[in-house]
Amino acid sequence: MARSQSTDPPLDLLGPVQGEVSWFCCGAAWGPCSTTGKGACGTCNSGSLQHAWPNTSDACWAITRPDSCGVSMSRRTCGFSHRTTALCSGTSVVTTIADCGPQTDLFCGERSCCGATCASNRLIDLTPAAYSRIASLSTGLRPCEISVP
Amino acid sequence: MHGIAAPQPYVIALFLLWAALMKLLSRRMRAQAGQTALARLVGAARAVPALRLVAVLELAVAAALLLPPASPLEGTAATVLSAGFLLYLTYGRLAAPASSCGCLGTHARPVNWRGFGRAGLLLAVSVAAIWAGPYPLDATGVVVGLAEAAALLALSAELDRHWLTPLRRLLVRLRRPLAVVAPEKIPLEVSLRLLYLSPAYCSASARLTSDVQDVWDEDGLRFVVYAARERTAVFAVPLSDGDPSAVRVALIQEPALA
Amino acid sequence: MTSRRQLLKSAVLGGGAGVVAATAFGSLGPEAAFAQAAPDVEPGTPDPNFAEGRIRSIKDNTLFVLGSNWVFHRIRVVDGTSLWKLGPVAFDQAKPGDGLYARGVRMPDGVLAAESVWFNIVNVKGHIQNITSEKVHLDHNGKQILCHLVAGKSVAVYSDAPPSADLSQLRVGQHVQVLGAWRPDTNEVDIATVFSPH
Repeated sequence: MARSQSTDPPLDLLGPVQGEVSWFCCGAAWGPCSTTGKGACGTCNSGSLQHAWPNTSDACWAITRPDSCGVSMSRRTCGFSHRTTALCSGTSVVTTIADCGPQTDLFCGERSCCGATCASNRLIDLTPAAYSRIASLSTGLRPCEISVP
Repeated sequence: MHGIAAPQPYVIALFLLWAALMKLLSRRMRAQAGQTALARLVGAARAVPALRLVAVLELAVAAALLLPPASPLEGTAATVLSAGFLLYLTYGRLAAPASSCGCLGTHARPVNWRGFGRAGLLLAVSVAAIWAGPYPLDATGVVVGLAEAAALLALSAELDRHWLTPLRRLLVRLRRPLAVVAPEKIPLEVSLRLLYLSPAYCSASARLTSDVQDVWDEDGLRFVVYAARERTAVFAVPLSDGDPSAVRVALIQEPALA
Repeated sequence: MTSRRQLLKSAVLGGGAGVVAATAFGSLGPEAAFAQAAPDVEPGTPDPNFAEGRIRSIKDNTLFVLGSNWVFHRIRVVDGTSLWKLGPVAFDQAKPGDGLYARGVRMPDGVLAAESVWFNIVNVKGHIQNITSEKVHLDHNGKQILCHLVAGKSVAVYSDAPPSADLSQLRVGQHVQVLGAWRPDTNEVDIATVFSPH
C-alpha cells in the first residue's frame, strides 16, 4: 500500500536544511511563461518575493516526492514564509509559498557547490525577483540553506 | 466493404479492454485521478468512482463486441462511447488545458494532437463496426485490423517509453547529433563554474551587485569583471588549470569617469 | 585593449589575492553592508527593485518595458550595469520585443537604475523528448520547447562535475533544466547551460 507521507520526521522541522535552489517564472509573463498561470496558490508572480515548496498538499507531494531522494520536508501551505540563504555568500531572502515545486524526485542526488560547500537535492524554487536577490539569474542553480525566519 | 468492417469490433474491443483494465487495476492511475480532466468534470472526490464507472462501461461494450451474437447495436454503443470520449477530451482541452486525460496511462502530460487523433480514429472504427455483422475475418480484414491497431498504439503517448523513446535513443547513438567539434574558445560558463568553486569568489560574492560586466582573455587567463557597490571586482580565472584555488580577485575603486 | 581593462588587469595581477582581504571593505562589516542595501521588502509582495516584462521601446540609455501585470517600467542602463543575452553583451544588443528581468535600485522618480539586466533569460525544466541535429526537444509541461546548441557557448553541467561543452551524454527521456535565451515570439531557446542530474 502506498504511503501518502514519509514516517521520518521532516528535516526542516529539526533545523535549517541545505539543498539546491533554482528559479522559475509564473504569472502571465513573457516567453515560455506566457501560459504558466499563477501557480498552485493562484498568487504567483515573477516580480514578487515568493517561492515554490515541495510539500504544500498531498497532491503536490505526489508530484515532487522528495522522500524518493531520502529527504522529508514538512507540510507548509500557501503564504508560509521561508528564508533561503545562498551558501558561501551568506546573502538571504525571505519569501512566501506561492506554488508547488520543485520536482525533487526527478533530480535526486544532484549536487551544487559554492567554494568548498556543497548541497544535494532540489528543495526550493524561487521567483526571479527572489533568486536575483541572492544570486545572478544566469547561475541557474545554487546550493542554499532553507530556514524559517 | 464487409472485409474492412469485420475486424473493427475486435480492434475496439481490445482497446476498450486495455483502457478498462488500466483504470481498474493500476493504483497509480487511481492516485493521479485527482489531476485529470475527469476530476475537473465531476469533482476530485468523485474522480476515482467516475473512473471505475467508465471502466465498467468500457468492459461492457468490449464484451458485447467480442461475444456473439453480432449486432449493429454493439457498433452503435461503441460509437456513443467513442463520441463521448472525444467530447471529454475537448472539454478537458478547454476547461483544464494543463490536466492530463487519465484515459489509458499514468503520464501527467496534457492532451495533445495525438490524443485527439486517437479518439478520432476510435470513433471512425466504431462507426465502421456498425456494419461489421457476423462476417468472418479474411486476409484484408486482418491487415486492416492490424494497421488500425498499430495506428492506435502509435497515437498512444502512454506507450512511448516502450518503443518511441528507445527508438529515438538508438537514432541519437547512431547519428550523434550533439557531438561537438572541440571549440576553439572555452565557453564562458566553464570558467564561471570554476570561479564559483573558488575561495576568491566565496570571499567576494556577498559584495557583488551585478552579473558579469565584462570578460576578456589574455595570457592564459580569463578576466571576469563584476560591480561590487561603489567598487569593481575583477577575477583572474586560469583557462587551462582546473584548480579553483588558482583564481585571484581584486576589489578596485575605479577613478571617476569623465 | 581599453584602458579600463588595462587598469583592472594590472590591479588583479599586481594586487589581487586568493581571497579578498577583510580590510578591502574598509569599515564596512557584512551587517553594515547589507543595511546599506535596499530597505526590506515584505515577503510575498512585488519587489520594487526588480522589474520584468518586454521591451516596448529604447530611448538613449532607457528601456521602456511593459510588465506582465500591465505595469510600465523605465529602466536606466549605466556603465556599471551588467547586460546578459546568452552571455555578457553590449547595450546595442537590446531590442524591442525582448523579454527581460532587471534588478537595481528604484529611484524617487520611479526609474529603476539597473545593476543587472537579463534579456530573454529562461530557466525551464522538462523531459528530453528527442535529440536531433544540434537541437534538444524539451517537453515543458506538455509544451514543446526547441533548445538550440550554440557552439562555443552551450555547456552541460552533469551534477557537480566540471561543465562540459560536450552535450552528447544527454539521453532521450531524461529530465533536465535548460538555462538559456528565449528567441522572442517563438518556442525556441538558445542553450547557455543544461543541468543534468547525472
